[in-house]
Amino acid sequence: MRVTRYEGAAAGAVALMVLAFGAIFFHAPTDWLQGPVQRIFYLHVSSAIAAYGCFAAVLLGGLVFLRNESYAADRWARAGALVGVIFTTVTLVMGSLWAKKVWGQFWVWDARLTSTLVLWIIYSGYLLVRRLAEPGRQAARIGALVGIFGFVDVPVVHFSVTWWVTQHPGPVVVNDALPPEMLATFLFTMLCTIVLAAVLVVIRYRIETLRDAKQVLVEPAKVVSAHQPEPVR
Amino acid sequence: MNPFRVALAVARKDLLSEWRTREMVPALAQFIVLALLIGNFGFQINSRNAPSIAPGILWLALVFAGLYAFGRTFAAEKEQASLEAMLMTPASPLAIFAGKALAASALLVVCEAVLLPALSLFFGTPFSGDVVFAVLLATVGMAALGCTFSAIVARVRARELLLPLLTLPLWIPFIVAGGQAVQSAMGLPGSYDQAIGLLIDFDILFVVLTSLAARFVLDE
Repeated sequence: MRVTRYEGAAAGAVALMVLAFGAIFFHAPTDWLQGPVQRIFYLHVSSAIAAYGCFAAVLLGGLVFLRNESYAADRWARAGALVGVIFTTVTLVMGSLWAKKVWGQFWVWDARLTSTLVLWIIYSGYLLVRRLAEPGRQAARIGALVGIFGFVDVPVVHFSVTWWVTQHPGPVVVNDALPPEMLATFLFTMLCTIVLAAVLVVIRYRIETLRDAKQVLVEPAKVVSAHQPEPVR
Repeated sequence: MNPFRVALAVARKDLLSEWRTREMVPALAQFIVLALLIGNFGFQINSRNAPSIAPGILWLALVFAGLYAFGRTFAAEKEQASLEAMLMTPASPLAIFAGKALAASALLVVCEAVLLPALSLFFGTPFSGDVVFAVLLATVGMAALGCTFSAIVARVRARELLLPLLTLPLWIPFIVAGGQAVQSAMGLPGSYDQAIGLLIDFDILFVVLTSLAARFVLDE
């Protein structure tokens, strides 16, 4: 059986994640204050960073589409949005589990948690718009605009812990607050998570390409009209 | 063509159309009074807890009234295909967009003129210039975003469903800062000046962003 490069990349990404879990559970020391639950940190923060990257792809894809109507850019944006929502979900769920243990409740309404939830809602809305809008130029244009406006929330999420007083802790990595083993484990997990996100985006891009190609075969009239040049004003 | 005159002409057209039909403002005013009524029964409000509950009811009523007001802005044009006609004139899309946003905000301000005194009347909360200023500042940014998304979803089926889904998350900064400002103006802890500063920042950010996007939003 021949392994496609997508299957190879997926297997590689999964293997890296297994290694990352090994580092999280066997290399990183147990936090003296919080105990083993602190190990959630590695995947929780890495997923958030991977999600930022995915949403940056949505922003760039949208800008490129608005500039030169590149449907490939639009497919990158679609792929980025879906994978970004998945990683934001992972961040929220893992964060809630960690919060239950250390704060005593799953959710508090502080700026970081609220803005992350808003981020999740914005990009879930993006995915919904893509389903409801007429496929082709209309959906791509609307998606591009929603993706550009939605990205405003990414810096808000990131800097919320600096701008407001939050229960969520502030940055620990850039502040040198981690011992070397923890820092190494975090950086390795972050790298593996970013690779996983990138592989998922590439696979999703391939699926979107096949789906667009199928749409041309099934609904030729609609897609042809969507690609028509703009009338000269 | 002078873009300011175009914007004012478009706003005048929308307001004149509303004045002739008198559909939206009475409906919104009635909606606002109903929202206050529901708030009263949902919360068991008395003179002690009114300042902590009234701001929440204010923003809920305002947000849903705003969604309706901004949703109608482009939906009506879409139904009569009159937006295409306007876009065929030499007027710039940004001026047309600004005019529509101006008219929709004016309608929302009329609703606020009902909402704020009614809130004070029914719940006994202070009706001050600080509250009015905070609400008006929030209206600027909410109008810019609301009109943008109203124009975006006007062409999509299920637009009534999508408009709140897309607009509400981006309105949250205004509700966070506006909520803090109104709470502080009603005597609850929190810095009024900091909240007003945030509102101004968000207003500038979203007005600039929507102005840049207006060409793509209206261009079909």
